[in-house]
Amino acid sequence: MDESSAVELARQAVTFAKTDGADSAEASVSIARRFQVEARENAIARLEDSTGQSLHLRLFRDGRKATLSSSDLSLGGIREAVRRTLAQTQCVSADPFAGLPDEPAAENVDLDLCDRAIVTREGAEKIEDALALERLIRQADARIVNSSGSHYTDAESITAIANTTGFAAAYTATRTGRSTGPVALDGSVKRIAHYGTAARRLDELESVGSVASTAAQRAVDLFGARKPATMRVPVIFERDVAATLLEDLFAAVSAANVAVGNSWLIGRLGERVGSAGVTISDDGRLPAKLGSSPFDGEGVATRRTAVFEQGTLRTFLYDTYYARKLGAASTGNSTGNGIGPNNFYLEPGTISLAELIADTPRGVLVLDTIGFATEHASGTYSRGARGFFIEGGELAYPIDEFTIAGEYPAMLAGVDAIANDLRFDAPVASPSFRVAEMTISGE
Amino acid sequence: MLLDETLLSRLIARALRHGGEFADVFCERRNTFAYRLQDGRIHDASCSITLGVGIRVVAGESAGYAHSDDLSPDALMRAADSASLIARTSPGGQTQAQTLSAASVSSLYDDGERREHADAARYVALLERADIAARGFDPRVVAVNAHLTDELQEVWIATSEGRLVADRRPLITLGIQVVASDKKERGSGYVGDGGRTSIVYFDQHTPEELASDAARIAVVNVTAVPAPAGEMEMIVGSGGGGVLLHEAVGHGLESDFNRRGTSLYSGRVGERVASELVTIYDDGNLLEERGSINVDDEGVPGQHKVLVERGILRGYMQDTLNARLMGSESTGSGRRQSFRFPPQPRMCNTYMPNGDQSVEEIIAGTRRGIYAKSFAGGQVEIGKGDFVFMVGEGYLVENGKVTAPVRNATIVGNGPDAMTKVVAVGNDSRLARRHYTCGKGGQYVPVGVGMPTVKISAITVGGTQGGGHG
Repeated sequence: MDESSAVELARQAVTFAKTDGADSAEASVSIARRFQVEARENAIARLEDSTGQSLHLRLFRDGRKATLSSSDLSLGGIREAVRRTLAQTQCVSADPFAGLPDEPAAENVDLDLCDRAIVTREGAEKIEDALALERLIRQADARIVNSSGSHYTDAESITAIANTTGFAAAYTATRTGRSTGPVALDGSVKRIAHYGTAARRLDELESVGSVASTAAQRAVDLFGARKPATMRVPVIFERDVAATLLEDLFAAVSAANVAVGNSWLIGRLGERVGSAGVTISDDGRLPAKLGSSPFDGEGVATRRTAVFEQGTLRTFLYDTYYARKLGAASTGNSTGNGIGPNNFYLEPGTISLAELIADTPRGVLVLDTIGFATEHASGTYSRGARGFFIEGGELAYPIDEFTIAGEYPAMLAGVDAIANDLRFDAPVASPSFRVAEMTISGE
Repeated sequence: MLLDETLLSRLIARALRHGGEFADVFCERRNTFAYRLQDGRIHDASCSITLGVGIRVVAGESAGYAHSDDLSPDALMRAADSASLIARTSPGGQTQAQTLSAASVSSLYDDGERREHADAARYVALLERADIAARGFDPRVVAVNAHLTDELQEVWIATSEGRLVADRRPLITLGIQVVASDKKERGSGYVGDGGRTSIVYFDQHTPEELASDAARIAVVNVTAVPAPAGEMEMIVGSGGGGVLLHEAVGHGLESDFNRRGTSLYSGRVGERVASELVTIYDDGNLLEERGSINVDDEGVPGQHKVLVERGILRGYMQDTLNARLMGSESTGSGRRQSFRFPPQPRMCNTYMPNGDQSVEEIIAGTRRGIYAKSFAGGQVEIGKGDFVFMVGEGYLVENGKVTAPVRNATIVGNGPDAMTKVVAVGNDSRLARRHYTCGKGGQYVPVGVGMPTVKISAITVGGTQGGGHG
């Protein structure tokens, strides 16, 4: 299927909805070819190559909304599902804010989202990528004796949206990724690391050699880790962990959470809540980045939005529904079924992570966290963590089995140094940064 | 049946044309209806249809997989071709597909009400009753979000070994989240229930009862004090405390990690892995439970498995691929999220049977600790077994008495280490309310957990209270 037939199918679904009694409707059709290979040692453990398709439909009748998602794209199947979904609107409360966007249709700009080098890449080369990762992690360190698998994945996907206001557009995007999970053994202690990366373009993807060496280092680095004492210290979040903190911040600026009282940032627009270094943007127009697209999930043009400027909260992020509800305008952050990030990132600083560590007399470098306990209403953050203890500006010894906890208001105000290692390997991205003081709990 | 027997046989033959020891075809049709209440109103309704076929070929240690949501014979043959390519790149045997022979299974699901979806108005009424009950529980309740999901998944599985089996799996879930506030502090509580049953389940387990409990937890959390930080004793509450078994032990006993030698439990069957007070079962055969399956997603009947018995590791949870390579048998643990995914060995309902102490005795014997009545979630790292849990409802225990509620406590520890520190097991084992979903390798499946009250002699609690400056 190509872009024009995907658009046609979306139009067809919208027409069915309108014919059967919807006041307005919007359909998005997604068609994705996905390739995935997993290698272990010198063999292929799993090979997958499939094309999947799905339809998402939102329809409105008398201010009542119902949604459909279906993998049955036969015309008969769509027609039947549309009828059932329409029937469901009867039990939904009318909502004056529900409906399609008012904004004029987005122009379809070319953001360099599709890399032909991925589309035309030979299967054998992709398989060799995964096999090479398996070889290289073992060559990197003698203690790496096993792996939970090395992967190469890529996908080419078409996204088409049509609605009853006449909007109809589509774009094609690619993505590719490499990841590996080396297992290291030291005596009887086994450690698994996971490291991976992704990009829209093959030539922007971190190399096989670099992915393997980083993963291998993460697996062996933590041998001999101790449980630290319970204390308050400066904490440096390495960029991949830092990105998970940005995900929490995204949740706190998402209008969907703000509208239901589930954000610690409620009532603080225009206030200084972070240190001067905290500048965070959401940008859907960065060329060839994973979070970029010409329009969002309801056809609204994407843009660059300054969310925090030098610590000051400038805006929340909206889709059409929550913008109406909160008296704002959409920022192009609709996923079609909620609010999601475009490229949501913290502005990088000028020093390297190594320099940041050297600038820390005593503290903790966090390389990995587990768990997902953030209370967005209060901004309370708590995770299990692993990393290094820093003494005299150097990584003194590895630490694990501790938790790290704090409150986002204090954490953002406490960001006192930001590194220059930002990269966009996910829609939410961050450079490494340091928080002046947090609680770690161990012994 | 989604596809007729002749087409299923042709697909299996096609999938095996380049070789391979095993092939299967997984056909799925799933209809889900969902309703969501927010701000006292039914905010939206949704319908979701999953329809498609997954085809797998196993050659040696390798598996080829392809899926199609286009059910035309041509598209399915193309999927079989894609899956068959694995046998060209990986050494493996050849096999001749056996003639398909339909097997029937008895049902663990409650068919009290015919498995068609009920009228929308009946689902919506449950949500509205929950909303009223939660708001009426306490004036501090400020927000109620509730959702009701009713799904019917039909699967048909055909294998090159001649197995042909169908399963029709209902699953209903009512989830209620309540936020309470006293202007200064906010707290939230979540309760979910349901199972492989129909809407009639909520005649006995009323939305009022569930919503009041969620509201109670939210109010408790408003008054809760910040969690202490540091090492202390922990009492794990019955029922929902079973998440601890699921994360700290269960995942490490899934056969894929053990065949590959990446689990800390690899090669340790017969060895002591826990205190002798610890026995753990995984059971796919419990009536109506979320994790129960008449047959797994490879067509193998669900089973009762002894994982750990009095501290000794007894066995792993096996799917067919890993069982074959380990010279073992499938334990009916091959599960997948949908036709878009190949099966993985997974848990069903994981629980610990009764010990011999009363809850009162366990509390009275605790000097300084945290009493985690329920967890809000958890995660484990398989290699070393480190885990983390978020406490949903927790209290301090001081000198043998339950004292103040605590908020936002995170528990961190190591699975095998914690299991050796189990020093008391209660006589109140029960399965938790049914709302747990387990994620692994990007696939989500419904599971059940259960446990008696259990005491662990030392665990690290993360919080912000306590600890000097570093």
